Amino acid sequence: MKLFRKYNRTNIITTIIIFIIGSIAFFFVLRYVLIAQMDEDLESEQQEIFTYTKKFGHFAPIIPTKDQLTIIDSTNTVQHKDNFYSIKKWNPLKEKNEWFREIDFIVTLNNKIYDITVSDSEEETFDLLKLIILITIAMIALILIIGFFINRIILNQLWKPFYQTIEKINTYHLTSQEPLQLEQTSIDEFNVLNNNIAGMIDRAQHEYRNLKEFTSNAAHEMQTPLAVIRAKLDILVQDENILSNNANPVQSIELAVNKLSRLFNSLLLLTKIENRQFDLNEQVLLNDIIETKLSELSHLISAKGIIVNKNIEPVNIIFHQQLADILIGNLLNNAIRYNYELGRISITLTKNEFTIANTSPLPPLDNTMVFKRFYRHSGTKQEGNGLGLSIVKQICDTAGYQLHYKYYSDHHVISIIF
Amino acid sequence: MKILIIEDEPSLNKSMADYLNAQQYLVEAVGNYEDALEKIEYYHYDCIVLDLTLPDGNGLHLLEVLKKNFKTDGVIIISARNQLDDKIKGLQLGADDYLTKPFHLSELSVRIAAIIRRKNLQGSNTLSFEDIKLEIEGKTVSVSGKEITLTKKEYDLLLYFIINKNKVLSKNAIAEHLWGDDMDLADNYDFIYTHIKNIRKKLMQAGTGDYIRSVYAMGYKFGK
Repeated sequence: MKLFRKYNRTNIITTIIIFIIGSIAFFFVLRYVLIAQMDEDLESEQQEIFTYTKKFGHFAPIIPTKDQLTIIDSTNTVQHKDNFYSIKKWNPLKEKNEWFREIDFIVTLNNKIYDITVSDSEEETFDLLKLIILITIAMIALILIIGFFINRIILNQLWKPFYQTIEKINTYHLTSQEPLQLEQTSIDEFNVLNNNIAGMIDRAQHEYRNLKEFTSNAAHEMQTPLAVIRAKLDILVQDENILSNNANPVQSIELAVNKLSRLFNSLLLLTKIENRQFDLNEQVLLNDIIETKLSELSHLISAKGIIVNKNIEPVNIIFHQQLADILIGNLLNNAIRYNYELGRISITLTKNEFTIANTSPLPPLDNTMVFKRFYRHSGTKQEGNGLGLSIVKQICDTAGYQLHYKYYSDHHVISIIF
Repeated sequence: MKILIIEDEPSLNKSMADYLNAQQYLVEAVGNYEDALEKIEYYHYDCIVLDLTLPDGNGLHLLEVLKKNFKTDGVIIISARNQLDDKIKGLQLGADDYLTKPFHLSELSVRIAAIIRRKNLQGSNTLSFEDIKLEIEGKTVSVSGKEITLTKKEYDLLLYFIINKNKVLSKNAIAEHLWGDDMDLADNYDFIYTHIKNIRKKLMQAGTGDYIRSVYAMGYKFGK
């Protein structure tokens, strides 16, 4: 649930409850005041009757109005009632039943006792009450609606920096060379948030760069000891007495040194591509690169009896010569190495797409794993460090190309969409 | 032929010095920037083997010193940094070649030989072993004055063998020389055998001896 909605829900419910309680209290207070007012009127009416009868010795002529009834009955009871009450009774002038406020009292005139009832219609008071309540409710509704919209507008405005920050974080990559730019806002809380996020990202980026630098330095540093091992081996093999007994271990060491050296170079290359140390601003003739690589690898292709189908258009793109070499080289190497004897490779190059498909004894590969670093299918017998396709992926990511793998009619197909 | 080795890793320094010494070069070796600076200021070398990362200075500065003093010493950079910009910078500053660690000593030897040949253009531009003669300029091979036809790879391989004569050369070193280290070398071992078989056949048809010997299935040795 959005903060705004949650806040609004609480806010509106509380406001409605408070207004309802307030309205009820208001109703009763108002009613009490109005009734008290009527009682006062009735009392003064009573006083008038008392005074009039005392002064003139008879009752004043009763002029019935539609809101006031006075009934004078002679009675025998001397009981002094003298109290107020509400009662529903017939209003002959309006010809309907109505609520009345009444006072009942006794007047003694010429030794006769009269029971006098004065009733005031409550109708008008009720009408007034209704009107007041109606206006109150309308006011409440108006306040709620206006409050809702004002909150909505103000909150949206207030939270804008927050959403901007979220949006920026969402699209920001740690690998990015530029620092995260978060705008200063007029709200302290958001400034604190932005500053902390910027600080955190700065630290994370620092750590990330340290790690990168470490990888790169480590790979560099290891080349010199490797060079020592290689040089010592080169000298060692000159002694044929040693070699006669140790040809196999020596060869294994050579291969291991090779593998390590290639591995470090691949890692370094990956780091360099990730760090965007290559400017993609060179004119590259992809078709030329493919032809050159094919001729460099022709001895491997013909040794395996692989048939190559080419469908290559001249394509000139803005890219990086060395990266293009590596990209095409890695893909071609794979297509040859993981192929079987008398297999097939087909290469298609158009303005928008480069596709290389090859047969292989390997089953369809896992699409989510194939470009992962150090991923090698368990059935792979050939040498390799599992970084070839990761490098291809990294190059494509850097250049903004799409890279896809699929398995289609016995072919492993890798396509790059420019 | 005088060679100066500038490399701070003593063990690698010694290996290079030993290997090159055995090839009739006069080798001097230093392990830091200061010593190197002194040597290059006072003496002339046919080739300098220069490591870029020295404990007390950057090898690239030494190149600048050479350039400033109009020295014509050949320079081959050996660096752990396989970085294009270092390479370009080094070559711009007058280095003749660039070799990335780890390298084979035989490869270093071939590169040095090439640099020295290029620097001494007035000298004979041929290389010979017994009755085999290589014209470096035209890349032709003759046996007792009779020209034989080799493919590009076969010629490269023969040149490599003659420069590293009497040395055991591993298949790995040979493959790296012929195809570079971009390729997975083990894939290429079979092709070395094919090339060697062809060279041997062509040389023997031309009437010279069989100088290539397989050494315990791990490499080859060229020599009498």
